[in-house]
Amino acid sequence: MSTSATIAAPAISTEHLTRRFGDLVAVQDVNLRVAPGQFFGFLGPNGAGKSTTIKMLTGLLAPTSGRMQILGIDLTQDSVEVKRQIGVVPEGMALFGRLTGSEYLNFVGRMYGLDRSTAAKRTAELLDFMQLVDQPKALVTDYSHGMQKKLALAAAVIHGPKILFLDEPFEGVDAIASNTLKSMLQNMIARGATIFLTSHVLEIVERLCSHVAIIHRGQLVAQGSLEELRAGVEAQAAAALTAAGAPHEIGASAPAPGEKLTLEQIFLRIVGGTRRADQELSWLG
Amino acid sequence: MAGLTVSPLIRGQFSAIARVRWQLFVNSLRTIRGRMEVVARGFMFLGFGMGAIVGSVGLGATAWYFISSGRVDWLPVLLWPVFLFWQFFPVMASAFTENVDSSNLLRFPLTFPSYFLIRIAYGSLDPSTAMGSLWLLGLAIGIAWASPALFLTAAPVLLLFAIFNILLARMFFTWVERWLARRKSREILGVFFLFVVISFQFIGPLVRHFGNRSQPAVSHFVVQAMPIERLLPPGVAAQAIAHSLRGEYAFALGSFALLCAYALAVLWLLNLRLRAQYRGENLSEAMARTVGPVAKQQIRLGWNIPGVPGPVSAVLEKEIHYLSRSGPTLFTLVMPVVVLLIFRFSPGKTDSAGGLLGHASDLAFPIGAAYTLLILTNLVYNSLGADAAGIQFYFVSPVRFREILMGKNLTHTLVLAVEMVLVWAGASLMYRPPPGDILLATFTGVFFALVVNLTAGNLLSVYTPKKVDLAALGRQRASQVTALVSLGIQAAVLGLCALAILVARAYHHIWLAAIIFVALAAIAIVIYFLVLNRIDAIVLQRREAMITELCRA
Repeated sequence: MSTSATIAAPAISTEHLTRRFGDLVAVQDVNLRVAPGQFFGFLGPNGAGKSTTIKMLTGLLAPTSGRMQILGIDLTQDSVEVKRQIGVVPEGMALFGRLTGSEYLNFVGRMYGLDRSTAAKRTAELLDFMQLVDQPKALVTDYSHGMQKKLALAAAVIHGPKILFLDEPFEGVDAIASNTLKSMLQNMIARGATIFLTSHVLEIVERLCSHVAIIHRGQLVAQGSLEELRAGVEAQAAAALTAAGAPHEIGASAPAPGEKLTLEQIFLRIVGGTRRADQELSWLG
Repeated sequence: MAGLTVSPLIRGQFSAIARVRWQLFVNSLRTIRGRMEVVARGFMFLGFGMGAIVGSVGLGATAWYFISSGRVDWLPVLLWPVFLFWQFFPVMASAFTENVDSSNLLRFPLTFPSYFLIRIAYGSLDPSTAMGSLWLLGLAIGIAWASPALFLTAAPVLLLFAIFNILLARMFFTWVERWLARRKSREILGVFFLFVVISFQFIGPLVRHFGNRSQPAVSHFVVQAMPIERLLPPGVAAQAIAHSLRGEYAFALGSFALLCAYALAVLWLLNLRLRAQYRGENLSEAMARTVGPVAKQQIRLGWNIPGVPGPVSAVLEKEIHYLSRSGPTLFTLVMPVVVLLIFRFSPGKTDSAGGLLGHASDLAFPIGAAYTLLILTNLVYNSLGADAAGIQFYFVSPVRFREILMGKNLTHTLVLAVEMVLVWAGASLMYRPPPGDILLATFTGVFFALVVNLTAGNLLSVYTPKKVDLAALGRQRASQVTALVSLGIQAAVLGLCALAILVARAYHHIWLAAIIFVALAAIAIVIYFLVLNRIDAIVLQRREAMITELCRA
């Protein structure tokens, strides 16, 4: 992470953020810092604590302990003010199935305090941009999964949030819709917004995000710009190569000489997710 | 249908499907919700069981009577209801449930005969098949009781009639599956079903009303329809039995052959449809809507209600949209007027002109109003249930739950106000306009009860929410805890209201009750706002449980 960004008031910061579900520690001592204007990717294997973290950051889940600040405001102290500044596409998309797309966006706009005419104007623009104008009378419940994702994203941005939280925004979205979403998110970044997204599609994260954090078994195991993470992993790899018997640990995820490590390779190195396929499922044709 | 020999592979597949269904059932018992569901199904099973037994005995006794009194030509009167129930009930019931896409089985290496058998076997495990079969069994026993010799010919006819019904029901489903796959179709069917159910309430009064007069048009229609009826399956089955009773065995055989032909034709149509599905056509997938060029959409401005904050009116608008699109809810809202109608046409003890309320017509309005409030409690006590995953939006939006619940309460109050006007109009037209003191006492009493119910409803909506589907029949029920607490609150409110009326009657001034109700309402309003002011803190404590319950699949 660049020094100037860390000194400026962070868009998102957490201190010792912890969440327990009974005996299970889903998130432990997470200290996140996201600078304003960053496109931040939050990665981790299944069950690592990504969704739990994003739920806590957006007010959907209470932390067991720790602090969270959004744009310098403590989320637990003034949650309403924080919610005015953020837009969220949660895991379940938070849609109202028995409304039409335009009714839903209009409703969301007014709940965020937009006046009637602004809400209606932005609704029309967003429906047009997201290519959701084809079926004006269709209920949200009858939309395809991709259309629902686009509508959820439109609802998350209708009030012009300063920070956008997206939980798996590209899951189940076709290439055309995905392209629309990506261009919209990049435009938001260009205009100074901060985006915090979780995704399993590492290629998308690599292409969009300037900064990344990786959570594994509830703990933050890496955080920084892509270059910083790459440099760190390459340094570790170089050290490992000099050690006896180490090359097999790098295995298939090692880049060819002169090539840069991809985010997937970085991710696999950090979370240690490689497995030797030749040892298992020998009966597979 | 060649190659129906059961190979070990097919046996394995059958047992695997049976096992997985059993496993699904066992797994459903892991949660309290699942166990409650089983209990509810147990009650439903009991209901169907009773229907099957009572129907079976009734049909058997009537068949015995027809045969022993020489009225064998009346047998179609018994076979037609069985046939209609068997065919229409499954389609109506599909409005209650999502259809299982049986084409999922096709990814496994099933042969067509085994696929065909699985569809027939598992598709037939429904109440209509069980009840229809039992009814026919009762009918057969009744016939055998009256004429043991006739049983030998009646039994195969009724067995064939049962097979025909099973095949026809399956065939019917495979042809309407695509239509039923559409949410809108299911909803239309659901509302139609409700109208059918309610129309039964009027059969008695209408029969009493028209029963004594001769109906030449009806008689003429019956005479015209008789020859056609004899050619249709229930008529053919009845003819086969009637002919054999009269010793006309050639005709009986002819009728039996015709019934066989019907069964074979249905089998062929079913085979045709299932074979298409086996080849890859998805019968339960609704056709994609064709979309023409769309003009730029005009977005309507949101509602502007003077004096009401924007978010509250936005919630009100959203709630009205939800209610206006919920067939079952709209239907229940019509019920108070329907109940008054039923009371009006049901005979009283001594005076049938005024119906059940003939001697107390002043009570029509209070009764209708109380009933209105009662049916509204289902919405009030689980006001977040229909929002489902949308509850997450309320938690991430910068609006306090105080305002959200106020918007919902305002909706419920508006609905009640409209309903009260309808009930007043209905009571005035069917009986007579209620006197001023009763009108006043009713309005103030209902207002007090409404405030109490809104207060309790807000708390229960947060403490025991349950995901409901306003569009699907039978999926509007609140949780068991809510139902129990609601019952207690209604009893307490009713008790207080009765007490107020008793005091007023003791002093021979009904308007005294209105004063008591106003005082009670004032106390209730204070409590309402106290609860509303605390609701955000309560919601914050309950948010995980609320999201978990309302976002579940």
